[in-house]
Amino acid sequence: MTHPTKSAVLRGPRGKHGLPRLRLLAAATVLVAAAAVAFALPALADQGGSGISPFLPQADSPNGRNLWNLYNWISIPAIVIFVGVEAALLVIIVRFRRSVRPPGFVPPQWHGHPVIEVVWTVIPLIVIGIIGVLSFVELQNDFTKRTDAQTQMDITITGFQFGWRYDYQPDGVQVVSNGNQATPMVVPVDTLIRIRTQSQDVIHSWWVPYLMGKTDAVPGYDNYTWIQPQKVGLYRGECAELCGAGHSTMQILVKVVSQDDYRAWVQQQKTQPSPSPSVKVSKTASGAFTASPSPSPSK
Amino acid sequence: MATVAAPPRPKAYDQTFFAPVSIWLTTTDHKLIGIMYMFTGIASFIVAGIFALIMRVQLSQPNLNIINAELYNQLVSAHGTTMIFFFVTIFLTGIANYMVPIMVGARDMAFPRLNLLGFWLIPMSIFIYYAGFFTGGALNAGWTGYPPLTELKYNPGTGVDLWVFSLAIWGVSGIMASTNFLTTIVALRAPGMKLTRLPLFVWAQISTSILLLIVGSPLVAVLVLLEFDRQFGTHFFTTDGRPVLFQHLFWFFGHPEVYIMILPGFGMISEIIPVFSKKPIFGYSTMVAALFGIVFLSMAVWAHHMFTVGMNIYVETFFMVMTMLIAVPTGIKFFNWIATAWSGSVEFTLPMKFAFGFLATFLIGGITGVYLSSVPVDTQLHQSYYVVAHLHYVLFGGAVFTIFAGLYYWFPKITGRLLNTTLGEWNFWTLFVGFNGTFLVMHTLGLEGMPRRIVTYNGGYGEEGWGTVNVIITISSFLLAFSVLLFLINVIWSHRNGELAGDDPWEGNSLEWATTSPPPPYNFDQVAPVRSFMPMRDIRAGRMAAAVVADPSPT
Repeated sequence: MTHPTKSAVLRGPRGKHGLPRLRLLAAATVLVAAAAVAFALPALADQGGSGISPFLPQADSPNGRNLWNLYNWISIPAIVIFVGVEAALLVIIVRFRRSVRPPGFVPPQWHGHPVIEVVWTVIPLIVIGIIGVLSFVELQNDFTKRTDAQTQMDITITGFQFGWRYDYQPDGVQVVSNGNQATPMVVPVDTLIRIRTQSQDVIHSWWVPYLMGKTDAVPGYDNYTWIQPQKVGLYRGECAELCGAGHSTMQILVKVVSQDDYRAWVQQQKTQPSPSPSVKVSKTASGAFTASPSPSPSK
Repeated sequence: MATVAAPPRPKAYDQTFFAPVSIWLTTTDHKLIGIMYMFTGIASFIVAGIFALIMRVQLSQPNLNIINAELYNQLVSAHGTTMIFFFVTIFLTGIANYMVPIMVGARDMAFPRLNLLGFWLIPMSIFIYYAGFFTGGALNAGWTGYPPLTELKYNPGTGVDLWVFSLAIWGVSGIMASTNFLTTIVALRAPGMKLTRLPLFVWAQISTSILLLIVGSPLVAVLVLLEFDRQFGTHFFTTDGRPVLFQHLFWFFGHPEVYIMILPGFGMISEIIPVFSKKPIFGYSTMVAALFGIVFLSMAVWAHHMFTVGMNIYVETFFMVMTMLIAVPTGIKFFNWIATAWSGSVEFTLPMKFAFGFLATFLIGGITGVYLSSVPVDTQLHQSYYVVAHLHYVLFGGAVFTIFAGLYYWFPKITGRLLNTTLGEWNFWTLFVGFNGTFLVMHTLGLEGMPRRIVTYNGGYGEEGWGTVNVIITISSFLLAFSVLLFLINVIWSHRNGELAGDDPWEGNSLEWATTSPPPPYNFDQVAPVRSFMPMRDIRAGRMAAAVVADPSPT
């Protein structure tokens, strides 16, 4: 039995075939990736605002939270497939490259294999079948029933260029949020609120990621969704459908307050209504929409 | 790579390549038309890339005001339109125009003059679109141009009208090209080239042409309806009409268009991997079946772009299931490519590097597509940067990496010279790193609620980290642009000074390697009868056998 010398081990089986420049580049790639991961790790703990969290927003409304759950379930097969395929590519790169093959090596001339091909047709079918069923269940749970159920409160959200109008029922309050200086939509905590979205001009989309997914506001018909905020706090969002030059200024703020604070707010609104809607925001051809920071956080 | 003595350069080709412009204007040679298509595509790529860089600078920090919102919206729209319609589709039409007749052993396309007309409609289409920038503003509603935002009431300028005319002409050109490809492949194949012996790139071109033939007309139709709304007072898509109908019709074209941009790339990968693995393609017939599975399914998934417009949940479920099903044929292709290279003798030349870059990155686009296909999850991801990341992993990781792979693979055939390897290596690695640096973190931005198509963000409450991530993206996007610059330098330098390639530098499998590099105007002196789906391999084996017979010296 012969023992390979240390230098032979270091050189590896390929010796002169090594490509130092490429290895350097590969190493650089790995370093960049590692740096990205190191960057991401603290972000995983600090949800929201890091810009680098790999999860859906962990929403504070049960339906939004269910989306977060579903996303995580889909991630399991997704990660397995991703790692498996990338590993297979790496194996090909490391083990089957021509430089590690003996000279004149002729690989097996496979033309296919029916059983294997059926297997990798059926396995993805099963995986997507599971994902499809999970998604359909979630669709039935949170996208139909609760919308039609008895709700404690209705808010009609009307999108316009460029802002939002919130009409509260049964409280009869109206809030208008115009452009960048978003006026918060104040809602009570732990209340099932049905949201109806409308538009009076072009298509908008109402999206507050840490409460629920988006719902388009389309002229001509109403869309429905619901939220049931479970935490007092401030939630940001903005219009998600390109609607003109002021699109990025269609900021949204949702302020979730306690039931008592909400009652007080309604009383105050009724005695001192917010200014009437000034819908006329001209589409400036050259005017820049200078964005200024939203109202400061209070969460 | 076999060392080959410098082949005699075909005279006719040299004369045309550096010929007066008149020859380029009037040629019906599919190769020259193909080159013109490719040039048009690359020029569009550069222009749209510059637009992207301007947008990236604008987005690199919160609250920047480098360009205003109106111009930003025009650039967003022009970037999308140019990349999709004038770069990827056009470039791929060009490379197919060059290669398909040669690969099937034909002398030219079936309808050379239609080919000429079809090509010249494209510069016209581009010119009409870009005229918008000089007549008060081009399209500013995103490349999808959803009404009512594109209706006259909200968009009185001429940009939308020019966009409609531009794409209508583009659609007509596409229909011409598709007809031409299908006729060529059906009618002009070399003796012995049965359909079961077609190269997979040609199969991919068949499926692409069928798709474009079917969905090109609805595109033109929906644009004409929009123009009726704008100029003749109809109410198809106005606030009083059905704005969402436009989305249905548009995406009936728009989704198959994604596959029109990606299937030819699949075809190129199916050519490149067997050649550099020294193995036949794994599962030829399942590869073809998967192509047609994709063609069929891609026309039944359009509404997955519309999961937030408020459809019936059972309709949404149908489109969700169909969308997920597309993962199956795509998965088959993926696994077959891996099986083709598996236990082969894999030579990582530049085309193969780009092919593996494609496999590594397109996979991510495919997986994020499954997340997006789930209706509930999509209500969070739709219209966010997650979608921007996904579509770039599909179209850049997919189409652009395959375009580079195809170019490095076929450049020696087109010019007779190899692209420079050192520049090519730098091109690949900067592209790979720059691409992933640009688009990987866009996923997380979208997950945190950054919508696409916004001119700026305030970086305030809930957006604290967006500035940092956007800076990373902007820096990486410049690395990406640098990589494309390296590629252009490489093309310009190598087409005159590159190493002579010889007729068959890679020991290819298909017929284009049987003729000279570059091919003569009539492509072949004669085509040997085709006996398998790897005819060039048979020809090479025949030549070797003949050489052994001719060489009496003992071994």
